[in-house]
Amino acid sequence: MLRVIIDKEMREMIGSTKFALTFAVCAILIVLSFYIGAANYKVSVDHYQAAKAENLQQLEGVTDWLMVRQNRIFLPPQPLAALVTGVSNDIGRTTEVEARGELASHDSRFNEEPIFAVFRFLDLSFIFTVVLSLFAILLGYDAISGEKERGTLKLALANAVPRSTLIMGKLLGSFAALSVSLLVALGIGCLLLPLMGVPMAAADWWRLGLIILTGMLYFGVFLTISMFISTTTQRTSSSFLLLLVVWIVGVLIIPRASVLLAGRAVDVPSVDEVGAKKASYASQLWKDFRHGMASFKGPETQDVEQMMNVFNKYMDSLTAIRDEKMNLYTAQLNEERYNRQKVQQAVAFNLARLSPVASLTLATEELSGTSLGLKNRYYDQAMAYQKIYAAFLKEKTGMNVGGRMMVFKVKMDGEEEEEEPIDPNELPAFVYEPPSVPDSLQAATGDMGLLGLLNILFFAASFVAFRRYDAR
Amino acid sequence: MFTTLVRKELRAVILSPKFAATFAVLSVLLLLSVYIGIQEYREGVKQYETATNLSDQRILEQTSWHNLYDKGYRSVDPMQVFVSGLGYDVGRWSEVSADNSVKLRNSAYSDDPVFAVFRFVDFAFIVQVVFALFAILFTYDAVNGEREQGTLRMVFANAVPRTQYLVAKCVGTWLGLVVPVCIPILLSLLLVMMFKIPLTGADWSKVVLLVGISILYISLFIVMGVFISSLTRRSSSSFLLSLVVWVVLVLIIPRASVMAAGQVVHVPQRAEIEGQRDGYAQDRWTQFYADMEKRLLDNARIDEDQATIGDDEFDEEAMWARMKEEDAARKLVQTEIEEYEARLLEDWRHRKETQQKLGLSLSRFSPASAYQLAAMTLAGTDISMKPRYESALNQYRNEFNSYVEENQSESGQVGGVMIQIGCEEGVKVGTSRENDGLDLSGRPTFTPPAQPLSEVVQPVVTDVGLLAFGIMFSFVGAFVSFRRNDLR
Repeated sequence: MLRVIIDKEMREMIGSTKFALTFAVCAILIVLSFYIGAANYKVSVDHYQAAKAENLQQLEGVTDWLMVRQNRIFLPPQPLAALVTGVSNDIGRTTEVEARGELASHDSRFNEEPIFAVFRFLDLSFIFTVVLSLFAILLGYDAISGEKERGTLKLALANAVPRSTLIMGKLLGSFAALSVSLLVALGIGCLLLPLMGVPMAAADWWRLGLIILTGMLYFGVFLTISMFISTTTQRTSSSFLLLLVVWIVGVLIIPRASVLLAGRAVDVPSVDEVGAKKASYASQLWKDFRHGMASFKGPETQDVEQMMNVFNKYMDSLTAIRDEKMNLYTAQLNEERYNRQKVQQAVAFNLARLSPVASLTLATEELSGTSLGLKNRYYDQAMAYQKIYAAFLKEKTGMNVGGRMMVFKVKMDGEEEEEEPIDPNELPAFVYEPPSVPDSLQAATGDMGLLGLLNILFFAASFVAFRRYDAR
Repeated sequence: MFTTLVRKELRAVILSPKFAATFAVLSVLLLLSVYIGIQEYREGVKQYETATNLSDQRILEQTSWHNLYDKGYRSVDPMQVFVSGLGYDVGRWSEVSADNSVKLRNSAYSDDPVFAVFRFVDFAFIVQVVFALFAILFTYDAVNGEREQGTLRMVFANAVPRTQYLVAKCVGTWLGLVVPVCIPILLSLLLVMMFKIPLTGADWSKVVLLVGISILYISLFIVMGVFISSLTRRSSSSFLLSLVVWVVLVLIIPRASVMAAGQVVHVPQRAEIEGQRDGYAQDRWTQFYADMEKRLLDNARIDEDQATIGDDEFDEEAMWARMKEEDAARKLVQTEIEEYEARLLEDWRHRKETQQKLGLSLSRFSPASAYQLAAMTLAGTDISMKPRYESALNQYRNEFNSYVEENQSESGQVGGVMIQIGCEEGVKVGTSRENDGLDLSGRPTFTPPAQPLSEVVQPVVTDVGLLAFGIMFSFVGAFVSFRRNDLR
C-alpha cells in the first residue's frame, strides 16, 4: 500500500504545472550558480597568478638579497569557495611578509571590489538557503490541507490505509520526486565544473558530495515543516501564509539578528584598541633597542670583515630579544581577543541555530573550507611561512633584516666585481594547505546531525498532528 | 463609483486574515531593523571615537619627524541606521604618510568576520525583500481571483469603465498596504529621535526621500502584481508567476548582472598594481644606492684630500649635512615612485569604474536593485563612498606631508640611526638627532568628506525615474491585457 501511495504522490507531483515551473526556475538557478562559480573561480585564479608573478617579477634585476624588503603571499582561490563563498570574500587575501613583525592580511575582495559587495554573491549556498527552501514550501504547503480542500483526502482514507502509512507515503513520495529532480540539476552543475576547467581533486568531490547532502537535508527540513504546518491547518491559504512567515523569520531574520545580538552581548576589544597597545609597546621596545645599539663596543681589530661579523652577532642578539618580547606581547593580546571572539561566535551561532539556515550555512562553509576558521588558518600558515622566509633571508644575507632598517655596503677600495642578479625563484613559495576532509567533516557533523534531527522531529510532529486531523 | 470601488478594495485588503499576519510581521521587522541600526550606529561611533583618540594620542607621542604618519578614519554616517550599504565592507582607515599611498584597509567584516556570515538586516533590506513579497501576496489574485469567485462579472454589470476598475484596484490595495505601514515607519523614526541619533536637517530630508522611494518601490510591486493577475486566467498560476518574478527581480538579476560585469571587464587585483610599483621602486632604489655609493666614495676622497680625518667635530657636522642631502635625494626618488604609482592607479580605477558602471547599469533592469542603489546613495554608503574617502584622504595626505616636511626642515632633524663600519674607525653607532617630543601645533587634521544634499539627490533621480517608469509600464501592461480579458 505504501508503494501505491508513494507512486501516486510522485506522479501527481511531477505532473503538476506548479512543479514544472518551479523546478525549471530552480534547475536554471542551480546550473547558473555552478556556471558563475566556475567562471568566477577562473577569474580569481588569473588574478592570483598575475599577482604572484608580479611579486617575483619585482625582484628581477636585484643583485643582493639585502635589498629585498617585502614579499607578498596570497590566499589562493579554492575551487569550492566559488560555490560556497562563506567569508572568503570578506577576509584579507594579501599578506606582506617581512622577516619579522606581526603579519596582517588585507585587500579583502569586497573591500577591493565593492561592486560585488553591493548585492553579494550568487553562489550555490545562496540558492540552497533561499530558493530551495522556498521551493520546498511551495510544493509542500498543500500536502494535506490541499487534499482536504479538494476532497481527495476523504477518498484516500476510505480505503484501508492507516494514517501513518498515508503520511509516510506522501512525504517519501514528494521527497523522492523533488530530490531526484534536484539531483539531476545538481549533477549537471557538477559536470560543468570539470568541463569549464576547474581542477577538482578527489577530496573536492567528496566535499561537494557532502555539501549537496547537507543541502538535501536542509531541503528535507523545509519539506517536513511544510508537511507539518499543512497538517495543523485546515485551509491551504492559511498554511501558505504561516509557512511564508516561518520562512521569512527563519531564513532572513533569525540568523542575522542573532549574530547582531551576540555582537552586543559579548564585548570584543576592537582591532584599533589592540593595535594601539601593540604600537605603543613596539615604540617602547624600539627606544630600548636604539640605546642598546648605541652602547655597542667594537672589538680591537682592523679587520672589517671580522668587525662586521661581531656587530651582526650583537645586532642579532638585540633583535632576538626585541622580537621575542614583541611576539610574546602580541601573542598574548591576540589570544585575548581571539578568546573573546570565540565566545562571541559561540553565542551568535548557537542562537542562529534556531533556524536551519544557520546549520546549513555553517556546515557547508566548513565543508568548503570557507568558514570563519579560514582566517585563522591562513594567518597561522602565514606565520609559519614567515619563519621559513626569515631563515631563508638569514641564510642569504647573514643578517636578520626587517622593519625599517636599511643596510648597504660601501666598497672603499673600488673593487669592481660584477654582481650576479639574484634568482627570485629561490624564494620559498607559500602553499596554503586547506583543512583535510575528515577535519572539515568533523566540524560539519554537528550541524548536519542537527538538520537530520530536525527532519525526524518535524516528520514526527506532522505524524502526530495528522493522526488527530479532521479529514472532513 | 470610483470611491466605492476603492473603498471595497480597501476593505477587502484590511479585513483579510493575511493582512493581520503580514502587518504584524512587517511592523516587527521594520522596528527591529531600525533598532538594530541604531545600536550598530552607536557602536560604530564609539569605535570611531576610540580609534581616532588612540591615533591622536599615538601621533603626539612621536619623537621624530622622520617617518611620522597619521591615520585617517572613515566616520559613521547617521543615515547608516537605515541603510548599512557598503559600510561594513569597505576599509575603515588608511595610513597617511609620505611612504605609503592612501589605501582604506581593515573593513569591519574582515576584522570580525563573524558578522559577515549572515550579513546584515536593515530598513532597506526589509523593504526590498519582505515588503515587496507582501505586496505581491496581496495583488496576485487582484483580477483573476475575482473572476474565479465570479464577482468580476457582477462588477461589470454596472456601468464601470475597465480603466477605472483597474485604477481603483491599485489605489485601494495601495491605501490598504502602504498607509498602515506608515505607522511602524513613524514609530521607528520616533525611536531614532528617542535614541538621539544626530540627524541634521539635510539628513531628515534624506530620510523623507528614502521613505518616499520605498513607497514608490512598493507601489511598483503592487501594480506589477495587478498586471500579472490580469495576464493570467487562474490565481494559482499568477501566484507562481509573481513569485518567480519576485525571486528573479529581487534575488537573481542584481547579483547575476554584477557577476556578469565581473566576467566581461577584467580588473587586476590591487596587489598586482602594488607589485608593479614595487618593481619600479626596486629599480629606482637600486639606482639610488649605486649613486649614493659613488657620492660616498667621492666624499671620502674629498675628505682625504682635505686631510680632515681625525677632526671629529668637523666630521660629524659634515656627515649630518651630507645625510641631509641624501635625504633630499631620497625624497626625490620617492616622489618619482609615487607619480608612477599614481599613473598605474588611475588606469586601474578607470577600469574599475567601467566594470562598476556596466554591472550597475545591467542590474537596474530590476527595480529592486534600482531601489537599493538609490537607498545606498542617500545613506552615503554606496559604491562612490570609497573613492570619495580616498580622494579626501589624498588631499589630507598632501597637507600632512607638506606640514611634516616644513617642520622637519625647520627643526633640522634628519631621521634614522647611522651605523658606520670602517677599518679605521671601527664600528660607530650614532644616536639620531631626535628631540624628545614634537611640536605638533597647527597640525592639519582629517575631516571626513561631507556630501551636500544636491550631490546625493542627483544620482537618485535616475533610479526614481526607473521606478516611475516601471510603474507606468506595469500599469499600461495591466490595462492592455485587462481590456482583452475575458470576464467569464
